[in-house]
Amino acid sequence: MRSIGISLLSFMLTTVVIANAYYQKKQFYPSVVYITKSNPSMAVIYIQAFVVILMFGKLMNRIFFGQLRTAEFEHLMERAWYAVTETCLAFTVFRDDFNPKFVALFTLLLFLKSFHWLAEDRVDYMERSPVISLLFHLRVLSLLTVLGALDMYFVQHAYLSTITKGASVQLVFGFEYAILATMVVNVAIKYALHTVDLNSEMPWENKAVFLLYTELIMGFIKVILYVLFVIIMVRIYTLPLFAFRPMYYTIRNFKKAFNDVILSRRAIHNMNTLYPDATAEELQNADNVCIICREEMVTASKKLPCNHIFHTACLRSWFQRQQTCPTCRLNILQTNIPTAAPRREERPRVPPQPPNPFAAPNLFANPNLFGRNDNANPFAGMNPFQQILNPNEQNQNAANQAPGQAPGPSAPTGGDQNNAQSGSTSNTQTTPNNTIPPMFPPFPPFPFMPFMIPPPLPPEHLRRLTEDELKRLEGQERENVEARIQCLRNIQIMLDTAILMMQQYSAAASFSTITSQVPPPDRSSAASAEAASRETNAPDTNSASDPGDAAPTTSSNANDPQFSATSSADPENNNVEMSTSASPEGPPEDEVRKRRLQHFQRQLEQQQ
Amino acid sequence: MAGSALRRLMAEYKQLTLNPPEGIIAGPVNEENFFEWEALITGPEGTCFEGGVFPAKLVFPPDYPLSPPKMQFTCEMFHPNIYSDGRVCISILHAPGDDPMGYESSAERWSPVQSVEKILLSVVSMLAEPNDESGANVDAAKMWRENRDEFNKIAQRIVRRTLGIPN
Repeated sequence: MRSIGISLLSFMLTTVVIANAYYQKKQFYPSVVYITKSNPSMAVIYIQAFVVILMFGKLMNRIFFGQLRTAEFEHLMERAWYAVTETCLAFTVFRDDFNPKFVALFTLLLFLKSFHWLAEDRVDYMERSPVISLLFHLRVLSLLTVLGALDMYFVQHAYLSTITKGASVQLVFGFEYAILATMVVNVAIKYALHTVDLNSEMPWENKAVFLLYTELIMGFIKVILYVLFVIIMVRIYTLPLFAFRPMYYTIRNFKKAFNDVILSRRAIHNMNTLYPDATAEELQNADNVCIICREEMVTASKKLPCNHIFHTACLRSWFQRQQTCPTCRLNILQTNIPTAAPRREERPRVPPQPPNPFAAPNLFANPNLFGRNDNANPFAGMNPFQQILNPNEQNQNAANQAPGQAPGPSAPTGGDQNNAQSGSTSNTQTTPNNTIPPMFPPFPPFPFMPFMIPPPLPPEHLRRLTEDELKRLEGQERENVEARIQCLRNIQIMLDTAILMMQQYSAAASFSTITSQVPPPDRSSAASAEAASRETNAPDTNSASDPGDAAPTTSSNANDPQFSATSSADPENNNVEMSTSASPEGPPEDEVRKRRLQHFQRQLEQQQ
Repeated sequence: MAGSALRRLMAEYKQLTLNPPEGIIAGPVNEENFFEWEALITGPEGTCFEGGVFPAKLVFPPDYPLSPPKMQFTCEMFHPNIYSDGRVCISILHAPGDDPMGYESSAERWSPVQSVEKILLSVVSMLAEPNDESGANVDAAKMWRENRDEFNKIAQRIVRRTLGIPN
């Protein structure tokens, strides 16, 4: 009512002013000159122009939007207030060329801006309303076309004007309209996505992802435009204070979009790698309704570690915000990743000879670890070690997995080496059968930083074990512990044998020069046992088993090229020295191996 | 297909209309916009708010149910957990992460599992048992703790006002 009154008043004033001028001057041109010379008349004319613009705006509004919703109107007012303030700030920069035309251009800019905002709100509204009429589509499409065309025209105009007449206030308009143009593109893309979604029968799950990327790209373009604008303005005029607020918001939005995209990607990645798809059976057992969207789960759904099932798309959008189960708030990242992710992620980084052999014994003390790590085999720790020791014996590694089983004709070579490795440790510790970990203070890595050092790879020879043995090793708690203890006992027996033989061997070697295999390089003392086990062939090759100190052996071998590294070692501690001696490993002869094997079997039988 | 937020709100509206919980009515103000709801809550029996019918407005975010809605009573309210402008301050309406009062555990915060019905039921129980440790309205909290009679008197006056009965 009030606006109508103001409009009428302004019309009446204009009529009076024009009539007065015409009455005084009688002719057209003199009247125009009279009006422009008289300040009060001009004021009236300006007010009239403002009213006309507002009325035109209302008309356009009616054509393109119809009745504005309350929220839209509030939003518009809020933004308009800031825009007006910023326009006033812009006036201060360009106070030199302040004239009516300049004001008119800024008014037009504001006017177009508000239409852009409304268009944006309208398109966002598409997602909220169940009733989208044909008129709506028609309006949005025509509005976007008109706004886009106007923006392009003004950008081009500003560009030409800057090129021909040099930098002027047109620079500001050029950038403002360029930013408005990106807004039109953004809104158009959103509109297209919403329309496709509305017309599809099934929910379009990837729409959110597309929207995210649109936001990201448009945000990036806007940020670039603003930065360019500020740089140019600073060089030509002064700091464009009026551009700072929108620039700040643009950068913030861009940052948010960027974060969203990262979080979304992470969520999708987790979704694809960590959680299994829910099976039809599980869906039936649950009540088959996704609690996030309250719809039936016919499309892809995922099961979380806590057994709650959700739509994949719903989970993805939720995980973008929070990494908890919506139902029970279980932190899925903390529960799942420590067991699953590090194994997968750190695998490539495993150094070639990382495993401290004592990591493996430590594993035994902590059988729960295996309960969680399905694949982890108690002997996994030894495996890489052994691969380093004797790459030629890969096919015999199976024995590692179950040293307890009766050694087959081909198996025990690998087996006895392994056993010997642990044997030296058990030998030095005197209580090999009990818990081993606390006895190795110098080798704490596994228990103290359980996830820094990746758990050893599960041996690929696992399949060589029979189904039964595998079950025993992996089985639940008591059974698997028993199976492992059995393994360890067997190992211990074999180790003791190996030590015995080693002593015999060293005694024998002290009297004869034998070319034997040199132990492979390893920093740990466990390797000494390895060396010992290799040298168990001694009793076979040299029947002489004279008891004696091992030290002379080492020194006598010092001249041997394969023992060259050992020669530098202190002969008094030959066990340790042999282990530290670093020289390339030579594969043992097959014959030697066989004999050693036979010998070992005999020893084992004796022990039992 | 409409947006997922809209579909979920429509599903909730249907559910609330078919099986309305006792003492609660809720639905969109206008069926063209499902993101603004109006709710009527009756004061729980046996409390100082007994007999009152309190109108409230619920505004849902575009990403509902990932973010919680906002709730505001449109009548005058005097309650420790309701701001003087009617906004409701309970933990179920707060997304985990923001904690205006610094006392809520994340277990009672918003999650997509919550629903309009659960919110309104929480509000009913909040009316019955104010949490005076989170003072959205400090005066009310103080009065609730120290001068229960006076609090009850004010509550009764509000109840009468919501029913259109002169004081």
